[in-house]
Amino acid sequence: MLKKLLKYEWKDTSRLLLPINLAIIVLTILGCSMLSTSIFDSEASIFFAVPLLILYILSILTFSSVTIIYIYVRFYKNLYTAEGYLMHTLPVTPMQLFHSKLIVGCSWFGLNSLLTTLSFMALGFAAGFHQASTNINVDTININLDPSASFADIFGYPLPTFLLWMLALLILSAFSSILMEYVSILLGQQMERNKLAASVAFYFGIYVVIQIITSVAMMVPEFITLSNTTDEEFTTNFLSETLRMAFPMMSIIYLAVGIAFYIICRVLMNRKVNLD
Amino acid sequence: MTLLECKNLTKLYGKHTALSDICLQIDGGHIIGLLGPNGSGKTTLIKLITGLLSPTSGTVYVKEEPIGPASKSMISYLPDHTYLNKNIRVQDIIDFFADFYEDFDSLRAYDMMAKLQINPRQKLKTLSKGTQEKVQLILVMSRHASLYILDEPLAGVDPAARDYILDTILSNYDENASILISTHLISDIGNILDEVIFLQDGTLHTHALVDELREQDHKSIDTIFREVFKC
Repeated sequence: MLKKLLKYEWKDTSRLLLPINLAIIVLTILGCSMLSTSIFDSEASIFFAVPLLILYILSILTFSSVTIIYIYVRFYKNLYTAEGYLMHTLPVTPMQLFHSKLIVGCSWFGLNSLLTTLSFMALGFAAGFHQASTNINVDTININLDPSASFADIFGYPLPTFLLWMLALLILSAFSSILMEYVSILLGQQMERNKLAASVAFYFGIYVVIQIITSVAMMVPEFITLSNTTDEEFTTNFLSETLRMAFPMMSIIYLAVGIAFYIICRVLMNRKVNLD
Repeated sequence: MTLLECKNLTKLYGKHTALSDICLQIDGGHIIGLLGPNGSGKTTLIKLITGLLSPTSGTVYVKEEPIGPASKSMISYLPDHTYLNKNIRVQDIIDFFADFYEDFDSLRAYDMMAKLQINPRQKLKTLSKGTQEKVQLILVMSRHASLYILDEPLAGVDPAARDYILDTILSNYDENASILISTHLISDIGNILDEVIFLQDGTLHTHALVDELREQDHKSIDTIFREVFKC
């Protein structure tokens, strides 16, 4: 039955989320194409380059926000409004319903995050490649890095390991973010009245708490790095040392938070439903 | 084997008692009217049987199965409002039902749609409210379920549509199955009922065979109802 639920969950969510992700790809291709030409080389081009850049960033942010909101609304609407009368009378277990939403929600969230990251990287690469190929003077951008430093020297990991860490963080972040959405809805459902308002309040409450925990936890590697770094080493070592500690720490936080949310969701889903 | 058994079923909403200590048994092959005034607990009882609500105390069994996937596979439920995603096509809804319910008869569904001249390629939101309700009824009655639970199937439709709905119900259920119909429109269904359950203020007032009640009181079910629940 889980397979069938997944099939329909993919089908229903694809109606909105597939065009959104395709739009990110199209926007990236358009952006890269424009950056590969000479239209931004003249000083006068700044008047349309800046609005285009703002439009691009706003579009990408909108697509990400719509994805997050849609997954949230979909879970609520499909299980706890009129549609819930159909879903909760299907011959399936509550956890099968939940897992279908979790797998599909995480996949869309992860795909959206991946495409967004790749889009920014692709545009950065296209701009850099164009500058290098046209020998544009970039002296105005003063990056204080040793030209002989390798990727690992700057970012703390060789490129393949760095990308693997990024991918792992992306998956774990999707897992914990989606579960945070679902746990807030399920907690809201425990209220006698104003269930939707309670769900939204729970979401923002949990979000603030998680942000505080994450921020405090992220300060630890920065303090350790700062305390072990001399002034001379600071510019070259700070980023690499911080990332070397931050990546495993972030992964552990996302995983721990995700597991905690999953356990709460499991308990709440297995309580019998009370649809209004 | 008893088809449906409710044992000491109670449902509280805070301090309000929606249902109190309901005990009833329903066997196969009957059409049962679940009757009572507004707020008597009809929809609450139906939601408890379908698993949409959890009882405060007491138990429900369908063919000796507690409420869960097994009981849900035996119940075909029509709620008192539209529960389908209106952005999808009728044929996609039929596929959905066929995928999840082994007892769903797609041919029967398409046949009934054709008789009503409903194009399965149309999205639900493009159909009128009455037609959407008929689509929902067709889906529910296209199953070979053990128990059909219909919550206010006649509410809000014109008399001609009521005839169609009753005809669809009567001509599409298996003889070993039972139908539990909740309605206010007793005069429309009085003649097809085998049993009646009267609920009053969340308690079971009467559960009897229609023939017995008629012989006893020499009145129609509609008249008995009006007398029992006179304001």
